[in-house]
Amino acid sequence: MNRRKQLREGLVTNNPVLVQQIGMCATMAITTTLFNGVGMGLSVLIILTCCNVVVSALRKIIPEEIRLAIFVVVIAGFVTIVDLLLQAYIPALSAALGVFIPLIVVNCIIIGRAEAFCQKNTVKDSFFDGIFQGLGYTIVLIIMCVFREFVGSGRFGGGLIDIANGFRFTMDGTGGGIQIFPESYGMSIMNLPFGGFLTLGLLIGLMQYELKKFEKKKKMAERAAKELALQKEVEE
Amino acid sequence: MKDNKILKLAFVLFVICAVTAGVLGIVNALTYQRIYDMAHAKEFEAYAVVLKSDSGYAEVEFEEEGFPTVDSIMISNDGNGYVVKSTFSGAQGNITMVCGVDNDLKCTGISIIEHSETSGLGAVAAASSSAGEAFRAQFIGQDGSIALSKNGGAIDALAGATITSTAVTGAVATSIAAVDSVN
Repeated sequence: MNRRKQLREGLVTNNPVLVQQIGMCATMAITTTLFNGVGMGLSVLIILTCCNVVVSALRKIIPEEIRLAIFVVVIAGFVTIVDLLLQAYIPALSAALGVFIPLIVVNCIIIGRAEAFCQKNTVKDSFFDGIFQGLGYTIVLIIMCVFREFVGSGRFGGGLIDIANGFRFTMDGTGGGIQIFPESYGMSIMNLPFGGFLTLGLLIGLMQYELKKFEKKKKMAERAAKELALQKEVEE
Repeated sequence: MKDNKILKLAFVLFVICAVTAGVLGIVNALTYQRIYDMAHAKEFEAYAVVLKSDSGYAEVEFEEEGFPTVDSIMISNDGNGYVVKSTFSGAQGNITMVCGVDNDLKCTGISIIEHSETSGLGAVAAASSSAGEAFRAQFIGQDGSIALSKNGGAIDALAGATITSTAVTGAVATSIAAVDSVN
């Protein structure tokens, strides 16, 4: 399978959030600071990759009738592992994301990929599918976080970047971020779920517009090439 | 469906569940102690934030029927007051909070140890951000008649998180009443 094509599908043409439109609940809920977005994105990436590998490795022995039950068991297992590891080693992230880490169990990106991709493809392809789809998800989360944080509280990199004592990255979520304009001038509605809907809507609209434009261009180029070939034939 | 087919399905599902459970058991064994220690350290850190004591704290007996939300009352060995730990319901789930109360039955500070409030709304009450600190600072110096400003008190509720604000305010009042009962 073409890795380049797989990467493009994950990031752009078949992006899990913007094109497949799955896994949107957590997307809207947690994209309030960059710390949350990066943490959630990477957690999903890891869980998705692990589940993809296990599901595709077991695809020959999973009976058709109970495949969903098995997917759920595998997913819940990996989510619990990540949840426990986060609680033990990155407690700030676990506290910030709260219930949304256990809720990855029912995030349709993972079960969707297991059903649509891994049960028909090899372990290697599924592994890369997990990484690329996870990256696509993470990038969308990061874009939403940056936008909402900036418009909502005039900040960049909340929780992740600390500039109080020189520029540094923090893993304990205490970084204040870079204040671009005073917080009181921000539209705090962007920090509420409403802002999540608005941002996601705008992003999906923009994405679809670009995809349509790209398709049109491709069609026009094809047509031009055909006409050129026709012209050549006539000339000859 | 034939009987042996059902048995085969059940067997496959059982094996996969058993393997998953085994792996989870191992991960739990590896992380349990660390998570437990951290929760404990966090609680003691919170005690120091709400009521500073140089010589530690000791548990006090209290009437548990009268205060169902109160988990424990600790007296400061410095004699400057009490720390009350309580668990009560917030907007999304239980909130565990410690509240310092001095000998004049005034709140000396609150710290939320555990909660599952909505990120960006109720969670601000526990956050280390400036908004969270401003919210918690309002409780310092309040007495048993504490109430939200919309009910004629002095506490401004968090925007979009009235339920959380009401719950925390109520818990502070309960904590003060509990200390009053043992004082």
